[in-house]
Amino acid sequence: MDFTIDSEQRALRDAAADLAERHAPDYGSGDVTVGPAEHDAGLWAALAGLGGLGLPFPEAAGGFGASPVEVSLVAGELGRAGIRSAYGEALVAASLLVDADQTDLVGAVADGAALVIPALAEPGRAWSLAASTVAAEGSGTGPDAWTLTGIKEPVQFAAAASHIVVPAQAPDGLAVLLVSGPKVTANGRVELAGAAATLLIGPDTAASALARAVNLGIVALAGEAVGAMDTAMTMTVDYLKTRKQFGVPLMTFQTLTQRAADMYVSLELARSSAQFAAMAITDDPDDSASISRAKVVIGQSGRHIGQEAIQLHGGIGMTAEYAVGHLMTRLTAIEHTFGDTRQHLAALAAHVGDHESVDVLA
Amino acid sequence: MHRTLSEEDAAFQQRMRDFFTTEVPQDIRDRWRAGGEVEAQDVRVTQRILNAAGLAVPSWPREFGGQDWTNLQLHIYLQEMQSASVPPPLAFNVNMVGPVIAAFASRELKERFLSPTANLDIWWAQGFSEPEAGSDLASLRTSAVLEGDEWVVNGQKTWTTLGQHADWIFALVRTDPDAPKKQMGISFLLIDMATPGVTVRPIQLIDRGHEVNEIFFDNVRVPVDQLVGEVNKGWDYAKFLLGNERVSVAPVGSIKRKLADAKGFARSVATDDGTLLDDVHIATRFAELEAQVMALELTALRVAAGSKDGKPDPASSILKLRGSQLQQDVLELVVDLAGPSGLLWDAGDTRDGTDGSGREAWTGKAAPTYLNFRKASIYGGSNEVQRQIISSGILGLRG
Ligand SMILES: Cc1cc2nc3c(=O)[nH]c(=O)nc-3n(C[C@H](O)[C@H](O)[C@H](O)COP(=O)(O)OP(=O)(O)OC[C@H]3O[C@@H](n4cnc5c(N)ncnc54)[C@H](O)[C@@H]3O)c2cc1C
Repeated sequence: MDFTIDSEQRALRDAAADLAERHAPDYGSGDVTVGPAEHDAGLWAALAGLGGLGLPFPEAAGGFGASPVEVSLVAGELGRAGIRSAYGEALVAASLLVDADQTDLVGAVADGAALVIPALAEPGRAWSLAASTVAAEGSGTGPDAWTLTGIKEPVQFAAAASHIVVPAQAPDGLAVLLVSGPKVTANGRVELAGAAATLLIGPDTAASALARAVNLGIVALAGEAVGAMDTAMTMTVDYLKTRKQFGVPLMTFQTLTQRAADMYVSLELARSSAQFAAMAITDDPDDSASISRAKVVIGQSGRHIGQEAIQLHGGIGMTAEYAVGHLMTRLTAIEHTFGDTRQHLAALAAHVGDHESVDVLA
Repeated sequence: MHRTLSEEDAAFQQRMRDFFTTEVPQDIRDRWRAGGEVEAQDVRVTQRILNAAGLAVPSWPREFGGQDWTNLQLHIYLQEMQSASVPPPLAFNVNMVGPVIAAFASRELKERFLSPTANLDIWWAQGFSEPEAGSDLASLRTSAVLEGDEWVVNGQKTWTTLGQHADWIFALVRTDPDAPKKQMGISFLLIDMATPGVTVRPIQLIDRGHEVNEIFFDNVRVPVDQLVGEVNKGWDYAKFLLGNERVSVAPVGSIKRKLADAKGFARSVATDDGTLLDDVHIATRFAELEAQVMALELTALRVAAGSKDGKPDPASSILKLRGSQLQQDVLELVVDLAGPSGLLWDAGDTRDGTDGSGREAWTGKAAPTYLNFRKASIYGGSNEVQRQIISSGILGLRG
């Protein structure tokens, strides 16, 4: 067990920090879109240039042969700068493409030529990787040999996507299919009315491939969330030092400093968990239990820090011209992406009787 | 960054596991695992077994019996010890006074005290708190006045844990009442409990147990050479000690042991359609605690906290704060699992806890243990004080 990073990883992290600084939204300007972000092609090209998009995949599969640890480092810098992007989503999709031996498309994803997004959510349904209301019909692995019927919604970034990967119900069970040039009818609504699709992964291995892919996506989101929490924490501490009321800096009031200390504890627990999540799936990509535990800790810490960061700022924390509120918005979105705290706790709770205790040293 | 243990560390882990599960008698470990009042003889026997194997004082300097272990190895050692329910070496000896003597005392005091301290031939008590000096420890009033070659001590200490077993007490005493700052007039004195004028009076706690005491000093004469380091420098030594204490009260391994035992408890309680472990609400509490304990353990591994260069690392406050909370959360779960079976406590005079009733032993210990561990967020520097250390020491928020 070793939490330190080597010099190559440090160089990557520094490069990601530079990139993030260049592409960071200028929250203070008040011109930043409030709420969910749009795809930023400039940022995406830069991320591709950094090698960020194919990082964890083997070179033979079209990737760069690094690991989820590197993903976590890059995502952390994006989060710290308040960049909202499809990084986690793109990695989930790419992981499925790698499993399906789509080497050319993985290469295109890695160099930024293709943007492939997973279409997971369905209208009116809670998060689930186990079932889909989208029906898949067809046979064989030929290009566009299948058709898909149903709706995926909301699919963030779908409007900019060159392809989507779609878990859908095939006659023999849940399968994963690829649609190129998806039709987005309204705000994130993807209508699949007999859309042509290519089978990526059949029912035998779809469940495990999806779980592995989402594990990687969660590592990216966890890293990003810790970066965002870090910034929210720093801004809050600075504000307590500089904002004056009753003639004194806010840090004079212990009711605020005690809460800042609790935020810091939450942050450090989240940081440990995010780093461990990356190490855990580097070791074993199927270690969904470790990932679920990390997602729970990140979810709880993110909520705590996001809410308190706004509260300790008072009114300014509520404005679109100040980053703290945007960070909280993003942390809230992360909580509801790839399964929320409730869902991950339920998954863990179903298996608490299977082990005596959790062993982090392996 | 990687998860796996190196071959060397994995072998170390195995060696620790083998030692703790085979060399420490099962009956001692069973009693420790069941909880309740500490059996002094069990602590003595165990510490001597550990000491003989070089495992009682690993974090001391090498020349006094310490080991050159990495932080990871220290973590593994504690983890395996607690997982096997081995009574840990007495904290007052190995985490508190020992390191202070090793770092600050004269050669004579080191030679006189360190070896019996490691072997628990001397049982130490911690004489810091007083009725009027709790969190504001530096306002302590117990005085020591130099008369010839003796310090004459008068005053009162309180909350002295296991003082009824103590042979010696290390006490903070006021040696300069006129110092410009109250922190500057304090010294660190070693006092034989058998000295005339020392009186111990028990305090009963809400779990019915006798764990803490009041200690009165009435013209107690202490040889001048039993003052550690320099006169009026005691506060520095105390801060060094408290930094170590904070770490030792975040026992990740025993929290995990208890949580694992609690699963067995949950399985043993029938509900209308299964056991409590099948209950979604209970299973979810387990899942959440496991996630949070994992985060704590990882943080302990990552920040490698502890006193360095004579100064406590403020990161140790994270471990104390969160460790005490999770310890309390797990015991809260256990008392909830016991439910109505926990309404009556075990009679306390039968070691196996069977006390003639048909209830399982753990149910009779659940409520007193839960109540007892409310102490965890009070002692070792209360959690409010830890937040203060984090906000000023780490975040730079100074009011
Ligand atoms: C079971 C047990 C065993 C103990 N064992 C020992 C022992 O062996 N040796 C020993 O020397 N001591 C021991 N202690 C004493 C322990 O260290 C003190 O209880 C502790 O320092 C708190 O002091 P206090 O109880 O006087 O509470 P107080 O200091 O009076 O605090 C009361 C409340 O006010 C809060 N508070 C105090 N100051 C501040 C502040 N500045 N800002 C915010 N909140 C504040 C506290 O957190 C607490 O919630 C033990 C205590 C217990 C309960």
